[in-house]
Amino acid sequence: MIFAVLAPLLVAFFVPLVSRFKSSFHTGIFVFFVPFAIFVYFLQFIGPNFTPLKQTYNWIPSLHINFDLYLDGLSLLFVLLISGIGSLVVLYSIYYLDRSERLGQFYVYLLMFMAAMLGIVLSDNVFVLYTFWELTSISSFLLIGYWHFKERSRYGALKSMLITVFGGLSMLGGFILLSVVADTTSIQAMIAKSDYILSNDYLPLILAFILLGAFTKSAQFPFHIWLPDAMEAPTPVSAYLHSATMVKAGLYLIARFSPIFSSYEWFFIIVSIFGIITLCWGSYMAVRQTDLKAILAFSTISQLGMIMAMLGFGTNIAIFAAVFHILNHATFKGSLFMIAGIIDLQTGTRDIRKLGKLFTLLPITGTLALFGTFSMAGVPIPFLNGFYSKELFFESTLALQNGTLSITSFLTTVIPYLAVIGSIFTFVYSMYLFFGLFGRNKNNEVSLPKQPKEAPIGMLISPSILVIGVIIIGLMPNLFNQNFLAHAAASINPTAGIDAISFWHGLTPAFLMSLIVVVIGTILALTRTKWNTVYDLLPGRFSFNTIYDQSVKSIDTFSSKMTNFYMNGSLRTYMILIITTTFIVSFVYMYYTDGFTIDFSDLAKITTLEIVVVVAIVVAAIGTIFSNHNVAAILILGITGYGVAILFVLYRAPDLALTQLVIETITVTLFLLCFYHFPKLTKRNESKKTVATNLFVSIGFGVLMTMIGISALSSSWFDKISEYFIETSLPIGGGKNIVNVILVDMRGIDTLFEIAVLGLAGLAVFSLIKLRKNKGAK
Amino acid sequence: MSNLAVLPIIIPLLAGILLAFFHNNLRISRFLSKLFILINLIVVVYVTYIVFQEGSLILETGSWVAPYGIVFVADYFSIILVLTTNLLSVACLFIAPKLVSDTKEKFYYYTFIFLLISGVSGAFLTGDLFNLFVFFEVLLMASYGLIVLGGDKVQLRESLKYVLINLFSSVIFVTTVAFLYAVVGTVNMAHIAERVQEVEQQGVLTTIAIVLFFVFGTKAALFPLYYWMPKSYVVPNPVTSALFGALLTKVGIYSIIRIFTLIFVEVEFTRNFFIVVAALSMIFGVIGALSTNDVKLLIAYNVIPSIGFILLGLAVFNETALAGSVYYLVHDMIIKTALFLLAGVITYAAGTSDLRKMGGLIHHYPVLGWILFISAFVLAGIPPFSGFIGKLLLLKGSFEGEQIVIVIIALLTSLLILYSVMKIFIHGFWGEKNEQLERKSTSGLLGPISFLLIFSIFIGVGAEFVYPYIDTIATYLLDPELYIHSVLKE
Amino acid sequence: MEFIICILAGILFATGVYNILQKQLLRIAIGTGLISHAAHLFILTMGKLKRGQPPIILEGITEYTDPLPHALILTSIVISFGVTSVVLVLAYRTVNENNTDNMEQLRGNEYE
Repeated sequence: MIFAVLAPLLVAFFVPLVSRFKSSFHTGIFVFFVPFAIFVYFLQFIGPNFTPLKQTYNWIPSLHINFDLYLDGLSLLFVLLISGIGSLVVLYSIYYLDRSERLGQFYVYLLMFMAAMLGIVLSDNVFVLYTFWELTSISSFLLIGYWHFKERSRYGALKSMLITVFGGLSMLGGFILLSVVADTTSIQAMIAKSDYILSNDYLPLILAFILLGAFTKSAQFPFHIWLPDAMEAPTPVSAYLHSATMVKAGLYLIARFSPIFSSYEWFFIIVSIFGIITLCWGSYMAVRQTDLKAILAFSTISQLGMIMAMLGFGTNIAIFAAVFHILNHATFKGSLFMIAGIIDLQTGTRDIRKLGKLFTLLPITGTLALFGTFSMAGVPIPFLNGFYSKELFFESTLALQNGTLSITSFLTTVIPYLAVIGSIFTFVYSMYLFFGLFGRNKNNEVSLPKQPKEAPIGMLISPSILVIGVIIIGLMPNLFNQNFLAHAAASINPTAGIDAISFWHGLTPAFLMSLIVVVIGTILALTRTKWNTVYDLLPGRFSFNTIYDQSVKSIDTFSSKMTNFYMNGSLRTYMILIITTTFIVSFVYMYYTDGFTIDFSDLAKITTLEIVVVVAIVVAAIGTIFSNHNVAAILILGITGYGVAILFVLYRAPDLALTQLVIETITVTLFLLCFYHFPKLTKRNESKKTVATNLFVSIGFGVLMTMIGISALSSSWFDKISEYFIETSLPIGGGKNIVNVILVDMRGIDTLFEIAVLGLAGLAVFSLIKLRKNKGAK
Repeated sequence: MSNLAVLPIIIPLLAGILLAFFHNNLRISRFLSKLFILINLIVVVYVTYIVFQEGSLILETGSWVAPYGIVFVADYFSIILVLTTNLLSVACLFIAPKLVSDTKEKFYYYTFIFLLISGVSGAFLTGDLFNLFVFFEVLLMASYGLIVLGGDKVQLRESLKYVLINLFSSVIFVTTVAFLYAVVGTVNMAHIAERVQEVEQQGVLTTIAIVLFFVFGTKAALFPLYYWMPKSYVVPNPVTSALFGALLTKVGIYSIIRIFTLIFVEVEFTRNFFIVVAALSMIFGVIGALSTNDVKLLIAYNVIPSIGFILLGLAVFNETALAGSVYYLVHDMIIKTALFLLAGVITYAAGTSDLRKMGGLIHHYPVLGWILFISAFVLAGIPPFSGFIGKLLLLKGSFEGEQIVIVIIALLTSLLILYSVMKIFIHGFWGEKNEQLERKSTSGLLGPISFLLIFSIFIGVGAEFVYPYIDTIATYLLDPELYIHSVLKE
Repeated sequence: MEFIICILAGILFATGVYNILQKQLLRIAIGTGLISHAAHLFILTMGKLKRGQPPIILEGITEYTDPLPHALILTSIVISFGVTSVVLVLAYRTVNENNTDNMEQLRGNEYE
């Protein structure tokens, strides 16, 4: 099985090579065999006696991140969808994409995506699943941005990536938390521990994290906004990623984890609400669109919402219907996207307002579209698969379980109505789509950029196969039930499934709901132009896109404003911020940890001379602030330096005193050299506020240092290591001057690198002075 | 006792001195710089091997026993960072002849770089707090030399701020060492640790710890101390920026980790404070990155959130999170070098560093584009690249430590980091082909960057090979007795 | 006496910081000089003052002042000197290139 996941990636390496011969040999032909082989390989697992399969390949066992591949009914359904639709899409793309395009890149992305998608549905390890999950986002980003010279493509690509990666990261958070709580990284092992997880305090957080991941990927309201913009991708991509597979990854995730969460009532509440709202909003908005692919995008959103809702219901019948509809949706929506692509290529436009009366010109396409749209609408005709799952959906809305929370009982009452409303609009946009393209109710002559003619046979193969799928499933639904769908449903909920799928089971409430949908739907479809104005009221000018655009824009402007506010380039601001934080936080810590101690017991005596020197230094130090003359200021600084030297003498540090005197003299000279030609020091005309701030900062800091110094002195709890130096200086170090012995021997490394510092300083000064006219920097 | 521990410091020092004599002969100095860094790398690989085989290498310089003389301690943690330092220095020195102007190279460029490496390695390896200060000064002085090289208006201006702020924090550093000396009577880190634990970090010690945190935090560019960093990392040439971004801030965070795992281990005092600092570093760093259209500045701002990530592990302070910190530290050193170099190459290729003036570069420089693309995911921690493992461990550790809010902040930050770097890809590389743009040769530029990137991918994909070492480090850091015992041999 | 020196060093720090917060480069440079002095005084004091003879071994004397801070200060003085000289030359060059010694005019807003 691992080969199935890796094969597309391996082949992807050869694609750039093959694409060099694209003039004689369309790269797609080479690529086609990959999904097709995978499809054929996995077909063998279909049958009534299927049992789940598990294989493990080590990757990072010490972190429990391994390729634990797990193939159960649910995975199998998705694997077949991915490879099956994948094959058809590649086949279709051979005719869709001209050889002048960058085919190599296109197929590399596509294969990357395919591998990632297979990886998602086959991984039992949450972190491997996450890895593939992000890989689908990345490949989707690249595919949407395939024609990146278009502004809209770049916009759509970024939008889809931001939203799906946002969800992905949130899901990662959920996964990490789950793995910490359950102490395993295997989904199956987590399911086995679901009681334990359900009793954990973090359950709501885990659920929220994971649902965010699923909702963003599956374009649930209000995260659906990325999907319409993703339609900038080449149509085969839309058919594949943004309808049949990637957007279903979110559904897969919910399905996969519902054995853990399904008995948690909030799972039902949240998933159902989001699903049903998405269903209604998506189908309602679809009717408003004028771009073919936009209609299909909103239709996909609404269908995803419907499946999501059913997964939320969690009842036996709902789960089965969800699985069934995943399959059905892939067939009819896939074919409709391909048809949209054909119409786009053949007529040169996707604007439904410019299109019409195409049936005679494109009869085969028209026929295919007829089956696709009517199946999507759920029209009760025995050979359309859409009706079966739609009816099961209605049935499941009527048989919702009651819970303990009052919101649950509210939901069980309103959901059937909402389901009908959503389905009515589904019916309306399906009819709008079909008759808008092929119907005769156009009021005027259409003027098309191109004179349309029927598409080449090759392009029609893929949608035809899908439509044949629609019909076969419609005619023989039970062929798929026990062999295939039952296993998928059972892996979500062991008791899920139904004995037989039948077209007619009496005048049930569900059938009545279907009838209502058809009747009201027809009326609304016929009068669409009359009530169109309702869209001015809802959503009106309000749109979630605006929210997205505004927030992305405000992130940028906010960041700029914020950053420029404090990163203003002023050294003074920086220093004030740094110093103030330092001393305030330090004071807080000093206060809370009883950091300040003062102990007068062990101090040196005070002599008058010392006091005189100290006062002199203080006066000089303060004098530097008030001096308004360059040379004077520098000399006053020198006084403090010499004062310090005298203190060194008084405190019996002769070496220090000598060094200090020499260094101070050189420093003062350097100061004078550098600043002699400087602009004169001027009197400060500072506002009182500035002075106050400066005083606050400098005094605060000085006080902090003094307090720490006093406390440190008062807490000398240990003997100093210097005793050792005094003892060993002569016998081991061989020198009488202890300080010298320390410098050159005991701490010789310090001295070595101190010299290095001086050397570097010399070089730096040298290059500063010399390298000035050569501004030719690369 | 083994002299091996000092080799990673001495070889670059000697190389730097030797190269100073050949500064006018570019052919020789280029050749020698590559030769020496490779020699040093091989030596460091060998030392690393020995350390992981036989445990910490302790060198008591001049045979003065610890805690009296200066000791060098090549333990798991420090040696792995020295190894990383040398790896990325290899890339930098191989790309330098192409990316640095000849005149700058002649002005002791390689001497500064080798001394920088020496100082950084010394800071990692020393077991003496005052000696750490000296090595800080070595690396800072080398960085002063590098940052002013070229000396145009903007550069001088930003350098001056950089030097002044670092000077200030160095002075505080040395004062704090003195405070500590007054309390515990020693400057040897193991000895300090032993004594601080003996008195249970009471009294003024926590306050001193906090001041030290601010000193290192300034070097590490943590919130709210990083103001000096972004612009001063932008002004020098790209190789210098890369070394700064990869090494200077990391020495700061290394010191924080070292001090707070070895000496001031009473985490209860500092945990919440560190978490707040980590969170704010992430937020403000990434906000900074989003605020700019300048490629180099954008990368420079991205240094801040990653330091936040690394601090997070220390704040949470359990094995998983600390392992995450170390993993992230190593990962970040490598990828930041790659990104700074990339920013340099992009600026060179596009002739501007302003994203608003770029576009369509992918038509001219496809390989460069894809390298940047992958780097963006490496940086944002998208699996299977190296950032992911570190982030995974950090977040897992945070959950184990029941720190939920910070996890959410970290996740959002990751998204925004990805967005900020993707902006370069979308605005710089996508778009119409710019016919006026002249295609410049990128030979010799992409090799070193790819080298770093491959390495970065390796520590992600090959985590099984790397993780056990990192985990060893984390367990080692959690038990300060190991360090104390290995140095003081009691 | 130690406490008095602590206060003195604190005052030096405060005046140093106050100078660093000024606009004119010369004052900032003077500020850095002051805080270096403050640091050195602190180091010296932290070894306690006047506890014996200067640390040069002589027959018959057992009490010496703590020699370690002296060694540390010596290292530090030399390093400060190196840094100060770089700061001075850098300041000189910056003023010449930018034609101002006012830090507030050296903010730079190229990257906004």
